[in-house]
Amino acid sequence: MNDPIIEAGNLSKYYGKARGIESVNLEIGEGEIFGFIGPNGAGKSTTIRILMNLIFPTSGSARIMGLDVIRQTKEIKQKVGYIPSDANAYSRMDVNEFLNYCLRFYKVRNGSSRISELSGMFELDLKRKIADLSMGNRKKVSIIQSLIHNPRLLIMDEPTTGLDPLMQSVFFELLRSENLKGTTIFFSSHILSEVQFLCKRVAIIKEGKIIQIEDIGNLRKKQLKRIFIEFGEPVSPENISIPGAENLNIGPGNALSFFYSGDINELVRSLSGKKLNNLMIEEPSLDEIFMHYYKI
Amino acid sequence: MNGNLFKMEIRRNSFSLILWTIVIAVLITLTMSVYRTFIENQSKVMGMFSLIPKEVMQFKGISNFNDLLSVLGFYAVNNVIYMMVLGSIYAIVLSSNILLKEEYNKTAEYLLTRPLTRSEIFFSKFSVLLVNVFILNAVTTLAGLISIELVKNNPFSLKAFFILSLFTFLLNFLFGAAGLFLSTIVKRPKPVTIFSIGLVLILYFVYTISKITDSVSNIGYLSPFKFVNLDVTNPSYGVDLLNLLYFTGISLLLIFLSYRLYLRRDIYT
Repeated sequence: MNDPIIEAGNLSKYYGKARGIESVNLEIGEGEIFGFIGPNGAGKSTTIRILMNLIFPTSGSARIMGLDVIRQTKEIKQKVGYIPSDANAYSRMDVNEFLNYCLRFYKVRNGSSRISELSGMFELDLKRKIADLSMGNRKKVSIIQSLIHNPRLLIMDEPTTGLDPLMQSVFFELLRSENLKGTTIFFSSHILSEVQFLCKRVAIIKEGKIIQIEDIGNLRKKQLKRIFIEFGEPVSPENISIPGAENLNIGPGNALSFFYSGDINELVRSLSGKKLNNLMIEEPSLDEIFMHYYKI
Repeated sequence: MNGNLFKMEIRRNSFSLILWTIVIAVLITLTMSVYRTFIENQSKVMGMFSLIPKEVMQFKGISNFNDLLSVLGFYAVNNVIYMMVLGSIYAIVLSSNILLKEEYNKTAEYLLTRPLTRSEIFFSKFSVLLVNVFILNAVTTLAGLISIELVKNNPFSLKAFFILSLFTFLLNFLFGAAGLFLSTIVKRPKPVTIFSIGLVLILYFVYTISKITDSVSNIGYLSPFKFVNLDVTNPSYGVDLLNLLYFTGISLLLIFLSYRLYLRRDIYT
């Protein structure tokens, strides 16, 4: 790993007696695309908000680019772009006005051409009032404002919410190209597939604690799917044999559901010759993955 | 202070400043426009006033009918309602929202993640409050001065007029400081507008009750309105240093506390 760009040591945050995060330790190297994944309420946003100095930790410390996130927040934010999970831009402004307002906080050249470039990429009309924008378009504004100053580190909290699949792919492409230019990306999400698609390393957080930090390759090997099959004939445990199937449930009717983490081709082969009415292969929820692999 | 944020906030608050300033200035001008008629019909009005209980007169801020006969006394009595009460409501509504609105409008995550310190954000917003309250007071004072000049039948003390204007500004500013403080102690990011307006009205009510009821006259000291001397017709009217100290001291204390609290405030949206 390169020199750490984000370091968090024993970071904890309590809201009164309620737990936010507990003893979070993180080290993210410069140039990484690092995923931060966990179910809603796990502590992802709390961790990020401490890094951005929106809230203060109850204990522990964090540094970005070697600078303290509380005392040197201004210096840090010159070089960090941030996409909040749920924020509004100033609704009375139009998009162009808002982005230029954001731009004026930074010492950058060619900011206006960067705005044109990014808005073109996302097909965003700069003249529209922010109040009139859909959720997806507001997210585009949020993405653009985070990149106008060419940040060295990009911190994103659920950045794809509201983006349609086409724009998601434009966004991922942009992130890859920014990463190639040297930008480190800290990508928080509760959607495993997008983290797997984009990131090289991932931290898994649950109930305020980091339970695993893994290379994405290892996580891929554990690719768990939820399979739902509806047979055209009655099924029973005796006449069904699917190697690798776990948590097998029969019913209702002739339906069968289970978790499967092996080769999909093997699964299809094992079903050949059987009469199927329906076959669905779904992403399991994060909770199911955690239950399955981490027994938490 | 950050110039970009300051300019944006000035623009953002300009509409309400213009509206409040116009309303107060028009109310003062309209009220002063009846002064001539009031003086010309002095005896009738006096007769009418004699039918009104003393307490009601005092509640309306009139402690002595003769005060109303001088143009400055007439202005001072009406000034209480328009410039002091309405101006304070404007100041507290502006200040209690200027920091907090970033949270309940969910714009804080954009503002506080810019390369700014909390101090810069606080002082940029505070400067907007100071400038807006000053502009409101300057324009309404000017409207008052012009109105007085147009309707006066006798000379009046300019010194007394400006001292009254200074204390009106200090009173408005104190409520501005109170609004800032209020916004930094609330836990949940929700508007505190109703509470802020209520605070001004309650304190004004406390002040008037203390004036009409001798037995509870001391509760008036709980209200900042008590510390603005309206006795402008008194030849010895001047700057009361204790009152000046009261306004500047409490305002500075509230601003200092708000600043310290804002530096360590968890920002939620």
